[in-house]
Amino acid sequence: MTSSDKDLRDAFFDELYAIARQDPRVILLTADMGAHSLGRFKKDLSRQYINVCVAEQNMISVAAGLALGGKKVFVYTIIPFATMRCFEQIKVDVCCMRLPVTVVGIGTGLTYGGDGPTHHGIQDIAVMRSLPEMTILNPCDAVITQAAARLAYEQQGPVYVRLERGRFPLIYGAGSADFSRGLHQIREGEDITLIATGNMVHRAVEAADILRKKFLSVRVVDVYRIKPLNTALLIKMMEGTKGVVTLEENCLTGGLGSAVSEVLCDSCKGIALKRLAIPDEHCFASGDREALQQLYQLDVSNIVHSIVRWFPQRAEHVFMEGKEDGFRH
Amino acid sequence: MKDNLNFLKDKARQVRGKVLEMTAAAGKGHLGGAFSCTEILVALYYGGILRLDASRPRWEGRDRFLLSKGHACEALYVILADLGFFPGGELENYNKPGCLLGGHPNRSIAGIEADTGSLGHGLGIGAGLALAAKMDQKDFKTVVLLSDGECCEGSVWEAAMFAAKHKLNNLIGIVDKNGLCVTDIIEDCVALDPLDKKWIACGWEVVEMDGHSFDDLLTAFERVPSDRPRMIIADTVKGKGVSFMEGNIAWHHGVPKGELLQQARKELEII
Repeated sequence: MTSSDKDLRDAFFDELYAIARQDPRVILLTADMGAHSLGRFKKDLSRQYINVCVAEQNMISVAAGLALGGKKVFVYTIIPFATMRCFEQIKVDVCCMRLPVTVVGIGTGLTYGGDGPTHHGIQDIAVMRSLPEMTILNPCDAVITQAAARLAYEQQGPVYVRLERGRFPLIYGAGSADFSRGLHQIREGEDITLIATGNMVHRAVEAADILRKKFLSVRVVDVYRIKPLNTALLIKMMEGTKGVVTLEENCLTGGLGSAVSEVLCDSCKGIALKRLAIPDEHCFASGDREALQQLYQLDVSNIVHSIVRWFPQRAEHVFMEGKEDGFRH
Repeated sequence: MKDNLNFLKDKARQVRGKVLEMTAAAGKGHLGGAFSCTEILVALYYGGILRLDASRPRWEGRDRFLLSKGHACEALYVILADLGFFPGGELENYNKPGCLLGGHPNRSIAGIEADTGSLGHGLGIGAGLALAAKMDQKDFKTVVLLSDGECCEGSVWEAAMFAAKHKLNNLIGIVDKNGLCVTDIIEDCVALDPLDKKWIACGWEVVEMDGHSFDDLLTAFERVPSDRPRMIIADTVKGKGVSFMEGNIAWHHGVPKGELLQQARKELEII
């Protein structure tokens, strides 16, 4: 099986399994959430695996207690329950005490589609970003997801991993990138810097390829570590382009776009910014993930269209191309 | 034994006296809850229950005590200072700008095992610590002091069921059952009683006793562990030791001044 065939959950938990086999201090707590590769973890490392059942607050407090007792703890469940149900436990028990606890949340953005706001992971970046001690990782392919497990393990303090479900094309070659930098330029470009995170990195690459054909040269940056943001490197990557677009399957408020806007504002760079994200609302619409992404114009066609409409410098060329392609203006 | 009991009683009086002065000097504090758990803390720290070494506050073999009802920290601060975890002079700076000792305890203070102050966290943390000890075959015990108002937090019962499932008989919980929350009588708000039956139903061994009796407290702490976690329900009086504070919700975080302060000092025999 090549990495691109690997579900990202398995990429993460297979690596965690390998780590835990070597280090008995690694403990995995789950609040009744499974994954294919967790079966092996549970069977072979039963002393390091605990299902706390449907009790997320206790899961975090127990994790903190285990960490105080010398363990390196990973906790795992669906994003809203992993981050918001037990937010105060994460804040006080884990972050205030700077304990080595990694919160692994599954179901980024609209993964759970028509299951509704209870299951959508669209506010978690905002809330977790508010915690000073927190490191937030949002990997986009199997290579970096596997690396994220080790990055989290090696971290001395709290980590939050937004874990994607499903298979994604490889962005990174094995061993080719330095994942300590927090972000990576994956497409060259001169007109616009398109900054994405998680699964939206793939949409960004597709959009950039289409836009290039329309005479828009788009630089694509993967922010796989949302916090702490590597601001110096991010500024460097934004500089020299005429506009910045952020792309995330997350709400507008407090997410990646907010983080980038803060960087632009604080650095007085004066580069125009467009944020593509889910508007400030709860999503009650029915449909699968793709349908909901389309609803919020986070599909490739709408991303291209949004950028074209927003970026005026190349408007003439692009409008001409756009009309031919049936874009609405 | 009698000498020991007298020693403990005197310690409790001294602790209350210091807490009163700290609160009066700072103009803030939680006298009611600190006074209701004073005997509990004195029994743990001076009654030979907790295995500690003030010269090595992070010694691996120490017992872990978590003050889940973190707002009662003044009583714990007084005891930790008395035992030499940090200089006694720090008590005078309690709650003042730049001080070591704030209104809720945190781990930067020697002798404090966990940051607390938000209720409903301590028992889960204690369960994790107790589980870590079991995993590593370490013989330290973990003791968590909760308030009865805190038992309204759902997370307490999540931890209760977890600890029972994992047979954490190295975990001792104590509920300081003074019957009052901040603004009300608990039983007027929720059906907390029968509290003992709730803990028993969750799989705990339960001992209910007078939380101001050193005899009762020491007997409860020294019981031979069963295969279950133990919950000690300590019946207490909020504001214990000062007549006008006892059972009076006004003294959850009230600060006595003038004649009332003098009266409290007299009753605690510190003047």
